[in-house]
Amino acid sequence: MKCVIAFKWAKNPQDARVSADGAVDWRAAKMVASDDDAAAVVVARDLAVGDELVGLTVGDGDVAWAAARGATRTVSVADVEPNADSAVLGEVLAAGVRRIGGADIVIIGDGVWDQMVSMSLAGQLGWAVLAGVVSATAEGDRLHVTRKSGTGTEVIEVGTPVVLAVAARRAEDKPPGMKDVLAARKKPLEKVAMADLGVTSVGGVTLRGTALPEAADARIFDGADPEGAVEQLMTALRSEGVL
Amino acid sequence: MDSWIIVTEAGPVAGMAAAARELGGTVTAAVVGPRLLAESTAACGCDSVQWFSTLDSVPAESLALQVADLVAAASPRLVLALDDPAGRVLLAVAATRLGAALVSSVPGLSVEGDDLVVTRPAVEGKVVETLVVPGALAGVFDGEDVDVVSPVPAAITEVAPSGMAPSMRIIETTVAPGEAAGLQQAERVVSIGRGVRKREDIALVEELADAAHAKMACTLPICDDMRWYDESHVVGTSTQQIAPDLYIAVGVSGQPQHMSGVRAAKVIVAINNDPEATIFKKCHFGILGDLYEIVPALTAAFKRA
Ligand SMILES: Cc1cc2nc3c(=O)[nH]c(=O)nc-3n(C[C@H](O)[C@H](O)[C@H](O)COP(=O)(O)OP(=O)(O)OC[C@H]3O[C@@H](n4cnc5c(N)ncnc54)[C@H](O)[C@@H]3O)c2cc1C
Ligand SMILES: Nc1ncnc2c1ncn2[C@@H]1O[C@H](COP(=O)(O)O)[C@@H](O)[C@H]1O
Repeated sequence: MKCVIAFKWAKNPQDARVSADGAVDWRAAKMVASDDDAAAVVVARDLAVGDELVGLTVGDGDVAWAAARGATRTVSVADVEPNADSAVLGEVLAAGVRRIGGADIVIIGDGVWDQMVSMSLAGQLGWAVLAGVVSATAEGDRLHVTRKSGTGTEVIEVGTPVVLAVAARRAEDKPPGMKDVLAARKKPLEKVAMADLGVTSVGGVTLRGTALPEAADARIFDGADPEGAVEQLMTALRSEGVL
Repeated sequence: MDSWIIVTEAGPVAGMAAAARELGGTVTAAVVGPRLLAESTAACGCDSVQWFSTLDSVPAESLALQVADLVAAASPRLVLALDDPAGRVLLAVAATRLGAALVSSVPGLSVEGDDLVVTRPAVEGKVVETLVVPGALAGVFDGEDVDVVSPVPAAITEVAPSGMAPSMRIIETTVAPGEAAGLQQAERVVSIGRGVRKREDIALVEELADAAHAKMACTLPICDDMRWYDESHVVGTSTQQIAPDLYIAVGVSGQPQHMSGVRAAKVIVAINNDPEATIFKKCHFGILGDLYEIVPALTAAFKRA
């Protein structure tokens, strides 16, 4: 089935710098692949067997990331910035999927940094969608999708078109080798702007400001004297009413 | 200003209803699932419940459009859902129908004039940001639960199925592994991480758990890499979320993927020998020291208590 893998659509908050007045500087942060992206591309590769697998990315990250992992070509929307309204990025990605055209399945990382972008993408495409996906297999023209449910899992049979938001359990175990990375850079890449996709929305959320969080109020006891530290802890737990 | 809450699983529904209450208008719940879920929601402080009953073989997601149509017809100012997979799907489809802004984490909110204002941790907790929403808002509620003061149950109205064939079907359900270790109901939990050096050493911590009448839990590597405990003992993003009164983490570094599993714990205690360990920023109390010295002392203290 023809699959789109949406990857590297979030900036890594670990690289954002915060100054003493609580202002956030995103300049050093790049669009990066999350653990979920790595799990998503594995699901995508299996479902796309015998058909096209197209990468879709936004912003300033490595555009060849999905190509190095099996995508045949990539579409990149260059001028996208983070937005607190997840519907904006959802709209950009939905427009990207429409531009690629003819996809049966869109696979995207569930997104630890913003878990509503993938959902909004599906809402705006008007497609069925499952979140918390662990794995999926094609059974004829339908899919058997395993997803998390409560503390267990469910296997759900669903038709296409469908969006699958995949949640990782661990970091990527087999990153591609140098040969795949070099070959990926030669695969077709189409760069488009938001205006080319007809996306003009700025979203319905304004950021009034950011501030430093109140200092964590953890009380740490020095364990150099184990009995003393334990005594202090037990007293504290008693006063919290949990003993 | 009226609000809706979407409920597809048990969770901090009363907290979500209380947050919606901030707007001053009515709070309507759309519940997709068994009758029991509709009844527990009705006792959570909302004004009325619209109940979409589902067969065991039909996932809540297959009703997303029907729920979204009902929500959009009421054109509420605010829609909230919890962060379970189905809740998020229903929320996004409703948001699209409403043309609402979509915010992925709403711990609580307030009203300022005509604006909705959300203050929340952002950038992995490095800052607190304030968002202003002048129009309709759809958000994932991730605030705390509350106790309902006057549990007068709201009326439940059953909504007839749309007649459309469901597009999805559940064909297999695995027994929730979380049940086996009993962590979901546990009031006290002691967990181990890779700070425990050898399999034999677990006995030391299990003795603490016994003395404290606590259940044992662990981090993912203790299950996946060391294979000392099975999956039902693991807590975190990719496994289970628990809400004990007391969580004692022994030799656990406190990575976000683990800590998100115990966010709802009342008191978190960390025992770690690294002063830089992240967990010391995410716990209420900590002992900086070698677990092999601290744990026996703590066990003795619990035995005396
Ligand atoms: C996609 C993804 C999903 C994940 N999901 C989960 C999940 O659901 N649950 C989960 O738990 N993890 C999950 N992880 C893994 C998570 O990121 C961490 O790697 C893991 O939680 C760390 O486990 P740990 O604290 O046991 O080990 P470590 O990080 O190695 O920490 C061990 C700690 O023990 C301390 N220590 C060492 N010796 C002593 C001593 N003698 N006395 C006291 N302290 C000592 C050290 O200072 C250190 O802080 C996930 C990871 C990924 C990539
Ligand atoms: N301390 C423990 N408390 C409860 N269950 C345990 C404990 N240790 C092991 N188990 C269970 O025993 C089974 C085998 O454990 P193991 O051999 O440690 O992988 C698994 O199902 C575990 O859940």
